[in-house]
Amino acid sequence: MSVTTAELETLLIERSLTDEDLLRATESVPEYRVLPDATVIKIGGQSVIDRGRAAVYPLVDEILTVRKTHQLLIGTGAGTRARHLYSIASDLGLPVGILTQIGASVANQNASMLGHLMARHGITYVESAGLSAVPLYLNEVHAVIFGGMPPYGMWIRAPAEGLIPPYRTDAGCYLVAETFGCKGMIFVKDEDGLYTDNPKTKPGAKFIPHITVDEMKAMSLHDSVIEFPVLDLMKSARHVRSVQVINGLTPGNLTRALNGEHVGTIISAN
Amino acid sequence: MTDTTSTTQHVPSPLARQTLLDRDLVRPFTDRPSIRLLPWLHVIKIGGRSIMDRGRQAVLPLVDELRRALPEHRMLILTGAGIRARHIFSVGIDLGLPTGTLAGLASVEAGQNGLMLAALLANDGVSYVEHPTVANQLAIHLAAPRAVVSSAYPPYNHHEFPPTLGRIPPHRADAGAFLVADQLGVRQLILVKDVDGLYSADPNNPGSSTPEFIPRISAPELAAKPGTLPFDRALLEVMALAQHLDQVQVVNGLAPGKVLRALRGEHVGTIIDSGLVSAIGAGGPRRVAAAPNIG
Repeated sequence: MSVTTAELETLLIERSLTDEDLLRATESVPEYRVLPDATVIKIGGQSVIDRGRAAVYPLVDEILTVRKTHQLLIGTGAGTRARHLYSIASDLGLPVGILTQIGASVANQNASMLGHLMARHGITYVESAGLSAVPLYLNEVHAVIFGGMPPYGMWIRAPAEGLIPPYRTDAGCYLVAETFGCKGMIFVKDEDGLYTDNPKTKPGAKFIPHITVDEMKAMSLHDSVIEFPVLDLMKSARHVRSVQVINGLTPGNLTRALNGEHVGTIISAN
Repeated sequence: MTDTTSTTQHVPSPLARQTLLDRDLVRPFTDRPSIRLLPWLHVIKIGGRSIMDRGRQAVLPLVDELRRALPEHRMLILTGAGIRARHIFSVGIDLGLPTGTLAGLASVEAGQNGLMLAALLANDGVSYVEHPTVANQLAIHLAAPRAVVSSAYPPYNHHEFPPTLGRIPPHRADAGAFLVADQLGVRQLILVKDVDGLYSADPNNPGSSTPEFIPRISAPELAAKPGTLPFDRALLEVMALAQHLDQVQVVNGLAPGKVLRALRGEHVGTIIDSGLVSAIGAGGPRRVAAAPNIG
């Protein structure tokens, strides 16, 4: 079913926004991809940036080379300082919305640091991943850096249990990729991808090169590798229906993943 | 497998070496109820389409009622977006713009309604404030004035969720009002509409059945019913995750006196009970005792 501009306007003016016919009509209009040539990469906080020079310098060098043929929206994770803040704030019984703001500031610190390392190449940290000057960066220097936390703050959806924000930097970076209709989403971590168990604590864990969201849930692996609410977001996504988790400590992995190679774990919506 | 975290520089904390993704590891350190930041605050969400778009005849009596409530209650008044948001949805969707962009564009309209409403209450010390003030500075902004006005839309913008059906942003003014009211741990949330509450069928478009008034219902029950709702469906989803607010009341803002009575705790519309979890894990009850009325 396709609707004309006039029909759509009539439905939107006359019907409830919860009306199914209205929602179906809005679905039928083709969506315009805003940044289809850009790929979002998320650089892990604890897994990459907290390792300092040993992990970050080689990755920065790789980004500076690979950006010549790719446009990169670089989001950052939060890491160990966020965990310290989450520990204290949840011990104090502060609401999730406060922890969300705190987590965002740590991701922004990491983005600021990366921005300094790439500044002489014209690549800097921008305060919001919203459009603004981002397309200009992508066009001129092929990369821009943003803090990965979503802007929900005191409006965050509460977790089913506990006080840790359920939507953190994985969700924040993923939603940037989906909203702007980007080419892909790559999570840069310190493991080769998804395992049957936590590879840091369970030596027998087996590597899984490809998995669907439903398979992850069926295997109870939804609490690993990426924030589990991202899996549900992927299921209703229009553009970015699969993501790749790669090991950023292995030189060349990011370049290969950007070139479309399968070097980590690919998680797909179906 | 070698311990690949060994080169990471940690800040010592109970969560330092855990993956935050593993709920079993994280639960012991974070499983406790959060405190209510503003237990004396009343949040009133004024409908865009149902109230503001009706202009003078609907807005001025309501403003008068809010003015009369000022000595009794400290209030966060939030406004919805209304018909202009429908127009920008229409133009934006026709242009193929993404849902996250539509969210930001529509939230501007909620803000304009808030500016207008606040102007009508300026003489009583009420101002329009932006989201960061609502999030972190209400304590000072309500120390002298009795109320502030802001936009009810949540700041989801480009980070709005992809809708399961269609392109309309799922988190709009009603869900936004609930999210922030619950995080702030306020006393109550009142949704001011142009109907007495919920009915068994849409009272403005009843079809074959005669709409019956529903005085009280739970969010999960309501979520299971098909058909349209007088508020965002996402409201029911976020109510299921409530940490403090155990109910919201839908009240008719066109009926004189009802908002004031609801503020005083009376049942004058439809009360929707949230799915407030009564106990979690070994951490005991999550429900926090009702705050004293020191409004």
